Amino acid sequence: MSVLEFLANGLVFSSIIVLSSIGLSLVYSIADFANFAHGDTMTVGAYAALVTFGFVGALGGEVLGLPLGFFVALAVGVAVAAVVAVVTHKLVYEPLDVDSIGLLITSIGVAFVYRAVIQLGFGTGFIEFEITLLRPIEALLPYGIRMTMHDVAIVASAAVLVAGLHTLLQYTDLGRKMRATADNPSLARVSGIRTGRIELWTWIIGAGLAGAGGVFLGLYNNISPRMGFNILLVVFAAVILGGIGSVYGAMAGGFLIGMINQLTPLLPRLGQELPLIPESFGIPIGIEYANAIAFLIMVAVLLLRPSGIAGEEAT
Amino acid sequence: MSVAARDRFDGLTRAEQGAVGFVVLLAALLLFGLATGGLAPTYFLYLVGLVGMYVLLSFGLNVQWGYTGLINFSVAAFFGLGAYGTALLTAGNSPLGIEGSRLLGLIPLTVIGLLIAVVLAAVVAVAIGIPTLRLRADYLAIASLGLAEVVRLVFLNQRDWTNGSAGLRGIPGFFQGWPVLETFPQAMPNLRVEALEVSIPGVFSTRILGFTLDAPFWQALLNVAFVLALVGVVFAILRRAHRSPWGRVLRTIRSDEDLAEALGKDTYAFKMQAFVLGSVIMALAGVFYAHLNLFVSPGDLEPINTFYVWIAVILGGSGSNRGAMFGGFVVIAIREGTRFLGELLPGALPAADIPFTDLVVSFPSVVETTYVTVVSNFASTRLLAVGLLIVLVMRFRPEGMLPPQRELIWPRSVAESAGPGETNPRETIEEEATATAHVSDASDEVAPDEVAPDESTGDESTGDDLFDDAPDGTGDDTSDSSDDDTSNDVDAPTDASGDASDEGGERNE
Repeated sequence: MSVLEFLANGLVFSSIIVLSSIGLSLVYSIADFANFAHGDTMTVGAYAALVTFGFVGALGGEVLGLPLGFFVALAVGVAVAAVVAVVTHKLVYEPLDVDSIGLLITSIGVAFVYRAVIQLGFGTGFIEFEITLLRPIEALLPYGIRMTMHDVAIVASAAVLVAGLHTLLQYTDLGRKMRATADNPSLARVSGIRTGRIELWTWIIGAGLAGAGGVFLGLYNNISPRMGFNILLVVFAAVILGGIGSVYGAMAGGFLIGMINQLTPLLPRLGQELPLIPESFGIPIGIEYANAIAFLIMVAVLLLRPSGIAGEEAT
Repeated sequence: MSVAARDRFDGLTRAEQGAVGFVVLLAALLLFGLATGGLAPTYFLYLVGLVGMYVLLSFGLNVQWGYTGLINFSVAAFFGLGAYGTALLTAGNSPLGIEGSRLLGLIPLTVIGLLIAVVLAAVVAVAIGIPTLRLRADYLAIASLGLAEVVRLVFLNQRDWTNGSAGLRGIPGFFQGWPVLETFPQAMPNLRVEALEVSIPGVFSTRILGFTLDAPFWQALLNVAFVLALVGVVFAILRRAHRSPWGRVLRTIRSDEDLAEALGKDTYAFKMQAFVLGSVIMALAGVFYAHLNLFVSPGDLEPINTFYVWIAVILGGSGSNRGAMFGGFVVIAIREGTRFLGELLPGALPAADIPFTDLVVSFPSVVETTYVTVVSNFASTRLLAVGLLIVLVMRFRPEGMLPPQRELIWPRSVAESAGPGETNPRETIEEEATATAHVSDASDEVAPDEVAPDESTGDESTGDDLFDDAPDGTGDDTSDSSDDDTSNDVDAPTDASGDASDEGGERNE
């Protein structure tokens, strides 16, 4: 496989990580705790889309190699993830009388409940969307890139969502209030912002993006009850690399971690791929350690620059 | 029940009574199973061993989370390090194993394995602790979970060292190679407990007992003795350590790290000591597990195992070793109980005993399908139970069932302050330091004499006590304050703080 192809794969995987890490970072900064149920929120979105796709999959039309029904399913997945998160917030997190560490521990319980319910409903096996696999795009093959239209769809959808979020944060009233609340909740409250309502919107947006990430992850690989929890730590690594609480940092962190994750196979033959480095140079590490690399980067960032790429707040 | 026992039971708080009731009920159920032959004695001892193992793990986590406030999500990693540490040396198919059961014909290999496990866990704990212990609490949670995954991936993928996902088999019992104990199970006679015919004439008749106590049984008994010894030793050490000045510093760090720093304590060093101590205790549990199960695989390092231990500690009451024991008991009840129920319950609901089926047509079918799903997927149901339990505990009783009360205090000071049950406030540790600090500040202004009663309740985690390096310093405090008690009694109603007057009143019961 060529370097370009690894980069292309990295781009697709990064899109998924970016979507989920934005959500996690939003919740981290406004609800003020590390939400360990975020990964399983992704799973919820993926399964909701899967069920919906079973009903509307035949819906006509085709965009980027995907039936229109898939986009309906995507919307439902996003909506269900958001609703589940809001209900959880109202039922579980809001009545709690504990500090942020207590919330963190509670969110693990919530994650288990999500996953257990999904397992009871759908079993523990792997499922895939019933979409016929496409051939790689012909035009890119001469460059050594094997990429299907589906991959393009994932990247494009993620780009649309990220752009939408950027617009929301920068140019709307809600976005300004969210940024203000994330920055200083008490000050926001005395300025007349209803922080409770902002928190609710944070859950909706954060979980919605996670749901979208889950659907795309399901399209990219497959769907299983553990998919969200397995990727959760990678997402955390992205959030921490970007700087907790910074949405733009989370985007950058998600992009980097996703890329590094997919470029791991290149490490042992680094010398052959890069100029100016001796042929024989390489970091001898197997692809099975792709996630471990992300975790180690995360720890290194925490150690050297706990505020991350974009964060300002130091520990 | 004798009068003394009755009094003792009445002296407990309601939560304690509940916990005692639960444990007694469960023990009775197990004994019933044992008597009726539903539960083989060897399996019963295996369960006891597992409980002991979870108690050990909970003790370890308690040192880290309960006392020092370190969120360690890598319990499974240290457990696995302990298990692999000894298994790599002793397992039949270990790539790094040593032949024979003794090193140089002298020292049993399992002892070496235990030492290796402990050293391995301590080294890794230091290595993980250096980058993470300076971090904010929630970063520590994420980082430790990530590093635990790294450890698991290493055990899974370094096939030439660890045999990969196939795991290590043929691990000997812990006492292989020991002088007398090695042959103990074989040397013991096979006891046959004859079946008894029990009947109430005309009502029912059944056969109870009727099992053989053979070599596996004695082997299991030996294992239980081993884990009980470990639990006992660790408990004694922790009990002593937690009441010592060292333990008081740890609790201060948990309540307010800045305060501890301000008092000149090197909190990083204290946190590191607690982290390593806790990790070594977890590794001991792993060593026991390897020699109990005789098989270890990377699956034992799955994050879910970490959270089982967390439940045990949170449910029992963070910072309470009694609570940790109770929690370990409950976790095994959940883990093994759901398995047991899954085998016991019929696969489908018995039909036609739901009345009014013709009125609500859809309702029973929903119930039935749900029931069938739940019964046929017990692994998922267990996960659901575990998740709900975490949420419910955090919602309704975040301090746990048996939060630390008298066990943090030297027994002598409890005896002197007398009074049953809730003499001492049911505060969690976080509240203790701040509350006491405030109360003593307030009463300082009102009447300096009244500071003493607060200290006499034995809240040792106040800042003042940090300077008090003599372990039995509180004993002196108490004798002082009990003198003050009489005068305090009169003043109590006018006391500025409700807390102090409450305690004063109750103590004189």
